[in-house]
Amino acid sequence: MRITFPHIGNAYIAVKAMLDPLGVDYVVPPKCNKRTLSLATKYSPEGVCIPFKLNLGNMIEAVELGADHILNVTGHGTCRMGYYFKVQEQILRDMGYDVTMMLTGLSEHKLRGFLNLLRSVSNNAPWTKIISSFAFGIAKMTALDDIEIMANNMRAIEKVKGTATPIYRKGLQAIDDAADYRSLKEVVKECGEKLSEIEIIPDYKPLKILVVGEIYVVLDPFANMDVELELGKLGVITNRSLYLSRWVKKGLFFNPLGIDQWRDVHKAAMPYLKRDIGGDGWETVGEKVISSGHYDGMVHLAPFTCMPEGTAQCIMPSTREDLPVLAIYCDEQTSKAGMLTRLEAFTDMILMKKTGCLSR
Amino acid sequence: MTCKVGIPRALLYYKYFPMWRAFLEKLGAEIVVSENTNQKLISQGASLVVSDTCLPVKVFIGHVLSLSDKCDKLLIPVVRSTAEKVYNCSRFLALPDLAKAVVPGVPPILEIEFDYSRGTGYLYRQIYSLGKNFTLNPFKIKEAAEYAWETHRRYHDITVQHHLTRIEAIDLLHNDKMLEIKESKNDGLTIGIAGHPYVLHDEQVSHNLIKRLRADGITVLTPEMAPEAPDSNGNGHTQFAGLAKNYWESEEDVVGAGDYYTRIKVDGIIGIMAFACGPDSMMMNLVQRQARSANIPFMSLTVEEHTAEAGVVTRLEAFLDMIHRAKRRNEQCV
Repeated sequence: MRITFPHIGNAYIAVKAMLDPLGVDYVVPPKCNKRTLSLATKYSPEGVCIPFKLNLGNMIEAVELGADHILNVTGHGTCRMGYYFKVQEQILRDMGYDVTMMLTGLSEHKLRGFLNLLRSVSNNAPWTKIISSFAFGIAKMTALDDIEIMANNMRAIEKVKGTATPIYRKGLQAIDDAADYRSLKEVVKECGEKLSEIEIIPDYKPLKILVVGEIYVVLDPFANMDVELELGKLGVITNRSLYLSRWVKKGLFFNPLGIDQWRDVHKAAMPYLKRDIGGDGWETVGEKVISSGHYDGMVHLAPFTCMPEGTAQCIMPSTREDLPVLAIYCDEQTSKAGMLTRLEAFTDMILMKKTGCLSR
Repeated sequence: MTCKVGIPRALLYYKYFPMWRAFLEKLGAEIVVSENTNQKLISQGASLVVSDTCLPVKVFIGHVLSLSDKCDKLLIPVVRSTAEKVYNCSRFLALPDLAKAVVPGVPPILEIEFDYSRGTGYLYRQIYSLGKNFTLNPFKIKEAAEYAWETHRRYHDITVQHHLTRIEAIDLLHNDKMLEIKESKNDGLTIGIAGHPYVLHDEQVSHNLIKRLRADGITVLTPEMAPEAPDSNGNGHTQFAGLAKNYWESEEDVVGAGDYYTRIKVDGIIGIMAFACGPDSMMMNLVQRQARSANIPFMSLTVEEHTAEAGVVTRLEAFLDMIHRAKRRNEQCV
């Protein structure tokens, strides 16, 4: 039994940390690349959204490397995501691969489902071991997000463009290699120091842009064409509504206790959208409403044909709270040059709106 | 003065219109239904929403726009779930808010949310809050709701019994007389169509698919004619058999029907889906794979606001020719 799992951003580093101590035979699919995308487009239904396609591409490439069991999450709700596994399994079977999906329902089983899943792949390891490896995975996830936030902040204000990114990439690798809590802490500290030593432009007030949208395209730099990196190059500080570590921690630990981290966001969205429409649509509308005044603009990422985000995009222009929004649809046809042009035009526009002139 | 309530002839209209009409008329409201879909209405609707919205929602917005100066109130129910943990597509849940956000000058919207997962108490409260707009007498509202439910059952029964399409059944219920369905020469072909009622029965959207097939003397099966197969618990509430748990409420029209057609071995299946329809993009693929494994010809037809009628006609002719030829060849072999 060889396990694999589809990518979402850098989460594979955390999943590896969970599986390693349990002695599981697993294979990480190659990071999303051109081949993943073309395989995915070839075998997927044409109208389906990009997360489905890239997940399928990851699975195909992992199966080629000998994987036969696939870890996946499911759910029930209104978005397509909860049904992915069924169609993907069917496609892989029709391609002649004999795979088994190992599933956990995120929305119904929460933490327990995830731990049970870990237990079943680890050949019934003791609970203490499972919980400790899971906690270490979460710690790595948090570390990943910490250095990403620092890098995003530095990238906008660094004097020599392109200094922060290599440090960040080295940090990613170092986090992946860290074997225990102490080395992990050291790695994060070292990366943070290196980032803070970067020479910055004096007296520069960067624009602040919030990146919102569907979770997969927000978290996955391949799917969103490194939108945060590119915005950083344009001298913009980006923040996200979603960080995987926070999402997992709150979703798995606090929500079962009845604490809803989105309550304020939902309340803000109420006048314009009265109910949860699945995916992250409700949150997107709410984020726009509460970010107005705190941010200079918002980049709305959505997979092409995404149902909740499409609805959110229709509703957003009608809110009273004003905030410039740039909607970017991600799919296999999206070109980087087109996106860059739009990002440049967008930042120029909000800069002009803010200062009255184009010079910085 | 009676209150004029507008009902857009789109989306859930095809599934629940008799029920809504029964309820509202019993409470003394006057019903205004929007005109039949036409090209102008589609392009007006499409201009108000972002371009990757699915075609049925664009059509819906067009209908809302055409009703906006003809009625006092607009009925846009939200059907979230009709069975345990089976939800409707995301787009349906946002319809009232979407209409309010994008249609200029939209009249006040009457909302009601059907959510089976939240229990019957919630349903009763929702029904009462809708009925409150017309009368404050709860008994009257209860009576109207029961009458509406009875009408809905009757609508469902006559559709299955007489093999009627949704439109024919609505007409039949309204006029209380049997429609004469022209039975032209029948050459024995049976074609099953998998697709949502709001795509299939909207003559502008589907380019008269059903009429064209019938004119060729073909027996047409549509999803609503499929009898309900019992699910694993013995409840006759799902058409899904053999295929996974049901996930979307509205996808029974596609997967359930596809499953039924392959079981009764129809001569061909036409899957009609709207461009950018989220659920269909995955479900139609399952039906296609199922048809392929059962060796049944399958044609996938994707419609959008720019689809040309001539294109549909050509593909339909080619598909039928292929089936005819295969059938003749098989007969010769035997």
